[in-house]
Amino acid sequence: MFDRMRTGVLLSAAIILCAAAVPGISQNARSTAQIPHMPDGKPNFTGLWEAFGSANWDIRDHSSGPSPFFQLGAWGAMPAGEGIVEGGDIPYTPEAAAKQKENYQNRMKLDPEVKCYMPGIPRANYMQYPFQITQSQKDIAFAYEYATANRVVNMGPFKKAAVDTWMGTSNGHWEGDTLVVDVTGLNGNSWFDRSGNFQSDSTHIVERLNLADADHINYEATVEDKTIYTRPWKLSTVLYRRKEKNAQLNEFKCVEFAEELIYGDLRKK
Amino acid sequence: MRLRFPACFKAVAVAGAVLGLPAPSAFAQAAKVAPAVSATSWSQPKTPWGDPDLQGTWTSDDCIGTPMNRPANLGEKLYYTEEELAQRQGQLERQHQNDLTETVAPDARVGTGPPAHWGERARRPCRQTSLVVDPPNGRTPDLLPEARLRPVPEGAGNNDPKADSWEDFSYYIRCISRGVTGSILPVIYGNGQQIVQAPGYVTILQEMVHEARVIPMDGRPHPGPNVRSYMGDPRGHWEGNTLVVETTNFLNGKTGIGLNGGGTPTTDALRLVERYTRTGPNEMHYEVTVDDPKTYVKPFKIAFPLTQEPGYQNFEYACHEGNYAMFDSLSGARAKEREAAAKAAGKKN
Repeated sequence: MFDRMRTGVLLSAAIILCAAAVPGISQNARSTAQIPHMPDGKPNFTGLWEAFGSANWDIRDHSSGPSPFFQLGAWGAMPAGEGIVEGGDIPYTPEAAAKQKENYQNRMKLDPEVKCYMPGIPRANYMQYPFQITQSQKDIAFAYEYATANRVVNMGPFKKAAVDTWMGTSNGHWEGDTLVVDVTGLNGNSWFDRSGNFQSDSTHIVERLNLADADHINYEATVEDKTIYTRPWKLSTVLYRRKEKNAQLNEFKCVEFAEELIYGDLRKK
Repeated sequence: MRLRFPACFKAVAVAGAVLGLPAPSAFAQAAKVAPAVSATSWSQPKTPWGDPDLQGTWTSDDCIGTPMNRPANLGEKLYYTEEELAQRQGQLERQHQNDLTETVAPDARVGTGPPAHWGERARRPCRQTSLVVDPPNGRTPDLLPEARLRPVPEGAGNNDPKADSWEDFSYYIRCISRGVTGSILPVIYGNGQQIVQAPGYVTILQEMVHEARVIPMDGRPHPGPNVRSYMGDPRGHWEGNTLVVETTNFLNGKTGIGLNGGGTPTTDALRLVERYTRTGPNEMHYEVTVDDPKTYVKPFKIAFPLTQEPGYQNFEYACHEGNYAMFDSLSGARAKEREAAAKAAGKKN
């Protein structure tokens, strides 16, 4: 029992350390036989996935910090974490950098997550909630536990975004074993994290999902937006398959957890 | 993001009873097509892994305006006659013509709601006289005495709602959920159901309030009784070509079985069994048996067709993010109170 536990702990630690040390799990260690496939030979991403780490607090390197509300004590405090932004920082224009600081100062008021608004892309993928991928022979559905947000990646002919939305319009294609998802039509209201890092309605995201083995996806997103960044930049992290035998996508309809905050001053006195 | 106008729903529901039409382009196409029946040459397609393939975006639009409960004078008559259907087809076409007319009659009643043609319309007349198909009288069974006492939150359609708090409003108005039946029953818009299948899963993405039902097909047990939710815990299996979904683990006293989750809230004893049977390339038969032994005297069944329509797709329904109706209802009620208080103070002086 003790040995098994110790092995488990060591293994987890090894995974975490490796994941922290290298962005993405080494492709060399990969054996294609380990990867689940669809009948047509494409990798099968179907399953329940979740990111570890504290990127949803801040996608850049950050130390631990207190909760904005002392009443929450250690419950609401921010864990430290290595950033998922390649190269460390986000190449904001000076104006955009100032806006990010302002966002941060007012984050409890402005972060869409506080109000249970849809998280947008790429944030939905590395919040601390699982999400389910349902991969068909055609389209691929992403159902996120947080706020029941969802999107369907269109794998057919490219569809132009009909209208700007929170979750954007996702068009996918395969490059070998990599699922490439082009996201446009984002409405610009989404943040990348709880630290005010933000996008605009011109932001264009290209996600790349690659199965490192049966239980890990190397996830990366290239972010491009000339209006607020001086150059394209990239974030990357690892998505882990939820392996508990009874793990499933649950319901987190957070609207009712935010109503007092949003409408409280309009309640009859 | 779609704007929501709960106050107009009553007017639209009345208009909807006359039935309506589709997006103009789709209508011209659909009007020439005979009412959906299964094509003789059609056989159920299979996914590459061998399951019946139900994928696509389906809508319950064709039964928009069909009442849940059959008018008593129709007795046990579930289907309209061909003659009656032809008449209703004529109504649809007239409605379509009206919708193309953008002018507003000088004597038109001005309300706070949007014009009726903002809603979706049926493309062909619904053959049924009611959405409830069993019991044979087409009416929802009686409520148990204890269920009659259950408060029903404020739904859509009241221009002067009780608005002390957001909690006075239905879970639909609050953009939380319409429940399982409320998310597929035909209403004024947003009836899209996109089905995506994978080996071991069927996922149904529903436009309005952006629900996503992930249905495991591997026979795993439901979670324990302390894991409960608005949309319940679904488990699916195949019976021939029919997708059967059994859903339990509902929260107690939230949504009801009616349109948009309205009506008497159901309980934690609710168990739904849905059956999705594709009957043609673009037609599907949907039925759901509702069993809540703490609410209704007996189980009952609702059924209606789903269709795939050219160009029809789901859009993002950012309901909560754009819920101006809630702000306006609450702030309007507070303004009225201030006005009344000022008046009362004026009288005293």
